[in-house]
This record gives sequence, structure tokens and C-alpha cells, in this order.
Amino acid sequence: MANLDHCLNVWDLRAAAQRRLPKGVFEFVDRATEDHIAVANNRSAFERIKLRHRALVDVSGRSVATTLFGKPASLPMAIAPTGAAGLCWHEGELELARAAAKAQIPLTLSTASMTPMEKIAAVGGRLWFQLYVWKRRDLSHQLIERANRNGFEALIVTVDSPVGANREYNTHNGFGLPFNPTVRFTLDMMRHPSWTTSVMMRYFTAGRFPRHENYPDEYQKSILSGVGSRDGMRADSLAWDDIAKFRDIWPGVLMLKGVNRPDDAIKALSYGVDGIVVSNHGGRNMDSAAATLDVLPEIAEAVGDKMTLILDSGVRRGSDIVKALALGAKAVLTGRATLYGTAVGGEAGALKAISILKNEADKTMAYTGCRSVDEVSSDIFWGYREGNRLMGA
Amino acid sequence: MSALDRCLNVYDLRAAAKRRLPRAVFEFVDRGSEDGIAVANNRNAFERIKLRHRALVDVSGRTMNTTLFGKPVSMPMAIAPTGAAGLCWHEGELELAKAAAKAKIPFTLATGAMTSMEKIAQEAGPGVGGRLWFQLYVWNKREMAYQLIERAHRNGFEALIVTVDTIVPPNREYNTHNGFIAPYKPNVTFAIDIMRHPLWFTNVLMKYLTTIGMPRNENYPDEYKRLSRDDPNTHQMTRQDSLNWEDIKIFRDKWPGILMIKGINRPDDALKAIEYGVDGIVVSNHGGRNMDSVVASLDVLPEIAEAVGERLTVILDSGVRRGSDIAKALALGAKAVLTGRATLYGTAVGGTAGAFKAISLIRNELDKTMAYTGCRSVDEVTTDIFFGGRQGNRLFERVMDEAAF
Repeated sequence: MANLDHCLNVWDLRAAAQRRLPKGVFEFVDRATEDHIAVANNRSAFERIKLRHRALVDVSGRSVATTLFGKPASLPMAIAPTGAAGLCWHEGELELARAAAKAQIPLTLSTASMTPMEKIAAVGGRLWFQLYVWKRRDLSHQLIERANRNGFEALIVTVDSPVGANREYNTHNGFGLPFNPTVRFTLDMMRHPSWTTSVMMRYFTAGRFPRHENYPDEYQKSILSGVGSRDGMRADSLAWDDIAKFRDIWPGVLMLKGVNRPDDAIKALSYGVDGIVVSNHGGRNMDSAAATLDVLPEIAEAVGDKMTLILDSGVRRGSDIVKALALGAKAVLTGRATLYGTAVGGEAGALKAISILKNEADKTMAYTGCRSVDEVSSDIFWGYREGNRLMGA
Repeated sequence: MSALDRCLNVYDLRAAAKRRLPRAVFEFVDRGSEDGIAVANNRNAFERIKLRHRALVDVSGRTMNTTLFGKPVSMPMAIAPTGAAGLCWHEGELELAKAAAKAKIPFTLATGAMTSMEKIAQEAGPGVGGRLWFQLYVWNKREMAYQLIERAHRNGFEALIVTVDTIVPPNREYNTHNGFIAPYKPNVTFAIDIMRHPLWFTNVLMKYLTTIGMPRNENYPDEYKRLSRDDPNTHQMTRQDSLNWEDIKIFRDKWPGILMIKGINRPDDALKAIEYGVDGIVVSNHGGRNMDSVVASLDVLPEIAEAVGERLTVILDSGVRRGSDIAKALALGAKAVLTGRATLYGTAVGGTAGAFKAISLIRNELDKTMAYTGCRSVDEVTTDIFFGGRQGNRLFERVMDEAAF
């Protein structure tokens, strides 16, 4: 596909996605919250870390492969849970899952996805399931059981979203999940006929509007129904006791997503959690949030050798992955980057995004003289450091 | 959807206010002084503080309720004194005061307001659940200040706020460029500006012209109500540069209620305020409208809060545009914040409804910030939610985490 061939990095994919998607959908994916300070700061955190070339190491046998929770991954990366892949492409989650399986990295299916987990499970590959906890805990527990039945290897409980974020652009765009077919969004769709035909119309003709397929029946609403299920989803009472319960009923790998503090990480350890995702939800929740890369070293110092640390929020280049590894992460998640790819070319586009990042990570490792991900440490940084921590240049 | 419904944050209200108001009025409200450096720096001070999500605290029972000077408020905020609400909306001060009463937060009436304190007291005072504060500019002729104080007391104002950071008129050059010089004298630039905003002309200015004439400083004693800049005596009468601590002593004697000083920027001044029996201070740089080189009020807050401890109620203003700003100010030692521009933008867009909208937006943002950081009450908001080295109240050595990169 010509369009995809022109995309040489994630930014190109982003630009192509912006052309293709209705503004409401694109901004839902691309933007963050309030004044977009957090999302910019996430990027700055990566960009201000400087690396040094390492001279004359034979890196011809280098590999970016790693293991995550004892199983191989071709790259220290997994696909983050996102709610809008199904609007980026017809059955976008399925396309993304196929790309992840092909690339041999784990895929995380979101509670809010538009593809039922049974259908995703049929794709194979390594599957993780992300959980938003509802007010009615029994329904969440049912969902966990369903994920277990479908062979999902890991459960990721999101803990950074006790309240909905101020994503004002969605309202301005007449877009929401679930959303009203507002005049504004209808006009927006009309301006993007190829998206309307290839994504929305295919849902229409299949006789099934995109909906939150993994919600229990009483919450399951077409995203076009205009009836919000937000109240039912509100989980500002989510607490550590819930984690104890999840640990009891979930036999697989258990992760918490949205941990930002060393004390919380230590607590997670005491609750038998296997891994945490150091995340600020891609800067989409609290606009004052610290960059995840900035909080990572402290957390790694506190628990890094006892649990698996994964970082997300702001990864757009392969060098970002290398920096996260150097500061104590075992892997990263990509949300927007692979969604841009999905929006441009479905499975092929998502695979392209993954390949681009992989290629960039490979080059960064070569330049810095790292032959394996285990050799990536803050030794490649320019700047004085103490342990994992960058102290001063 | 009305213009107000489309406003989802203070910046939306600002943009709507900008469309609605004559440029001269909008800039009077919106801009700072000289090069606009202080205004921008006030914002930076808030924006560079980073917070951390706190995981898995049950925050379903959280509340923003607190007390100020022993009485309840629905959130740690009050309305700052501003002179131009009456130009943002017809009888804008009254609209704003009503919104504050409805939101259960205090309202401060400025000396330079265009609505009389009697009217404010009657329609938005304690009778309807409002808490009223009065802000005082002290002119050369002290008698005027004493008259005002007495009048404020008679009208049931619970607090007096003496502004101490405006002893000389600031360089707000844009006002001159815009032909906007209070009291309002018609001139060609401003007249053309008004003609470009017919809605404002009809809804605001005409309503004054058909009732009281040109809007004026309703709280000045009669002989000062229509001071003209052209009058050589004006400058002498209105100069404030002789204001000193002895005045505070006199105000303390004369004023039985809560006494605050607004515009404190130094710990030594704050300690002195305690000596003089002051109850509260507003750490403020006048919204960056006076001295353009001024330090951000959020940056001076920790030192001051440490110095005075529990002995004074410390309030912060200058730069609050988001609810997260309030959380940051509380964490650094403030008991509450004042909002000036934010609620004026709202007033300009929708009178009481607009001002109430501004308050609600900020309130909602503070609520979310507290939820994300795991704070169930305002007492739980401390620098523990910050990312960055800290010592007590104080954000220090961010170099460790930031400058190092």
C-alpha cells in the first residue's frame, strides 16, 4: 500500500492517520487532557536524555529479543490497551492483535475494546487483558473469569483512572465513547468519506454498530446509543482490597497499570502483583502528571529486582525503548504509535509501526555498543548517575 | 448550545470573553504590565510542578469542603477583588457576587468596583448565604479609607483586605494604546472599539447610560466618584506611596472583623503582619499586573508559609486557571486561592451563570486532581503528591530530577 510505504517513522504514520480519520476519532487517539502539558512533558523526558556512541564493539550478532514473564518476546515491547482501535480500522483490535502475533510481542485487549475477547483469543499470540473495575465488582470478577477461560496470560488492572479525565476536545468535536451521533461528528464523518465507507459502513452493513463487546450485557451499549455507561464504570472506590481479591481469582500474571510512586510499587509487591506499568495513561488523565520516565528510576530502585517493570506514555521512537530499559524497565507499551499504524493500514499498518520502532531500537543498540537488551544500562547515558538514577551532567 | 455550554475550561471562557468584550476592556482584564513577563511566569510556576498518581485509595467519599477563618466554604477558593467586573457585564460585580454566594465561596468587593457595597450586601450578602470581603486601596487622604471601612462594617462585610502592592500606578501601556483610561472618558480609539462590539454596547454600556450614566466608582465618597485624570489634584489625592505599617495599626484598631493584607511577597513582611494583629495575608503579585519582574507568587509561597506556620491564614493568588493549581497552592502552604481573571472571563460571557460556570469548572478540575493523587480531603493535599525532592513544605533541588537531564 503506497500510503504506508511513504511512512518512515511514527510521526509519518501519525500524519497519515490524521488525514484519514475524522477529527473526532483522530483527536480521541492523539490528544490528551486539559492543556496537554503532560503529553508534551512525556516526550521531553525522553528527548532530553542523551546517549553516547560506544566505539568498536562488534555488534553484528546483536538482538533486541527479550523475555517477559518467562516467555520470549521479539522486542521489549507490548501493545498497550486502547479503546479506539475499532474506530481506527474496521475491527481494528483484531488487526492489531494479528500484527502483534506476527511480530511476536504481547497484545493487551482493553475492557473498552470493540471486539469480543473470544474473537481476539482465536488470533493466538500472547494476550493480556486490561481491566477497568466497575462499581459492581461481581461484574468485574465475571470479566476476569472470562479472560481466564479465553487463555489470556496476564491481567492488567488500571489504577490511574478513578475519575474520568477532562478531555475537552472530545466534547468540542462532538465525540465520546459511547457517543451521540452529533451534528458536528456527522459533518466530520462526511468530510472523511473513505473512513466512513471502510470503517463505519462495514459495521453498519454487518448489522452491528461498534460497541463495548466485553462489557456485561447490562452495560453493553452501542457506542452510538448515546446512553452513557460512565456511572456504572466509575470506580473511584477501587482500593488495595480489590487487588487482593483479583490476586485470589486470577491465576495468571497480574499487573497494575498507572503506578507512579515507589511506595505504591512496594505495596503492589506485598499484594503478590507480578508486574507494574509505570504509566500516566499517555498523559491523558492528570495534566500535571510527572513524566513516567522521570519517576521510573525511583520505582526501579525500590522494586526493580523483585517485579517486572514496564513503562508507557510517550514512546514514539526506538531510542525511547532503549532509554526506558536503561532506567530499569523490562519493556514498554505502545498505545498511540501502533494505533496510528492501525488507522493507516490495519494489520499491515500496525506491523509497520512495530517494525519501525524495532528498527530504531536496533540501531540505537548498535550505536551504543549493546549486543543484547541486558547490556542496555545507564552506562550508555551521557550524565552522572547513581544507581539507575541520572544525577547531573 | 449557548456560548457558555461550549466553554469547558477557563481558556474557553477567556476566548469567548475576548470575542464579546471591546478590546480595551478585554485587555484591561486579561493583560499584565509592561512585557507580560510576570503573568507568564505565574503560569509557569504552576505548570512546572509535577504530581504523581496515587494508586488504589478509595476516594469515593472525597470532599473539597474546608473552612476559612472558621467558617465553611465549599472549596478552598474565594473571588479576588477586581475593578472591571462592571464592564464585563452590566452590574457585573453583583452577578459575580451572586455566583459566589451560590457556590458557597467568599466574594471580595474592590474599592474600585462599579456597584455600591450596599447593593452587594443586600443582594448577595449574608442574607442569601454570601460571605463578603472588602478590598481597600488607601489613598493619600486617609479619611476616605476610614469612611470606607466604616461603611463596609455597617454593611456586614466580614473581612477587610488592604492591598499593599500597588503603591504606584503600574505601567499598563496597552490601556493607553487602547484609549482605555478610567474613569471612562470617550475618545476615538475606544469609541471605535465599542462600535465593533454592538452587543456589549447594548447589553452593558447602554444599560448604564440609561440608568446612572457612565459607570463610575460607586464606593468612592461623592466628591471622588468622578475623578478625572486631567484634574491636577487627582494625582495628589490618589497616590498611595505613603502607605506604611502605622496605617495597618490604625486599620486594626478601626476594623473589628477579619483583617488581611494583600500583596505580601516576603517572609519578613509576613512575620511583621502577625505583629500587627493581621489575620491573613494574600500572597499575590496582583496577577502580574504591577511589577513585571516580580517572582511568581507560587514560588514565594513556601518560604512564607513556613515562616508563619499556623499563625496566619495564607491565601494565594495570581495565575490560577486550573483546579490543579489550587491543589499545588494548598500543598505549598496556602489555605485557599483567589481567582480574578478566571471568574471575570466567566462574568463577561454570562453574568452570574458565567461566573458560576468558571467556579464549577475549576472545582471539577480540583476534584479530579484530588482523586488522581489519592486525596480524600483538602487536609490530605501536601507536597507528598509532588514529584521532586522536597523538604517540609518546600520544593527544593529539583535539579536532582530535572536539571540533571
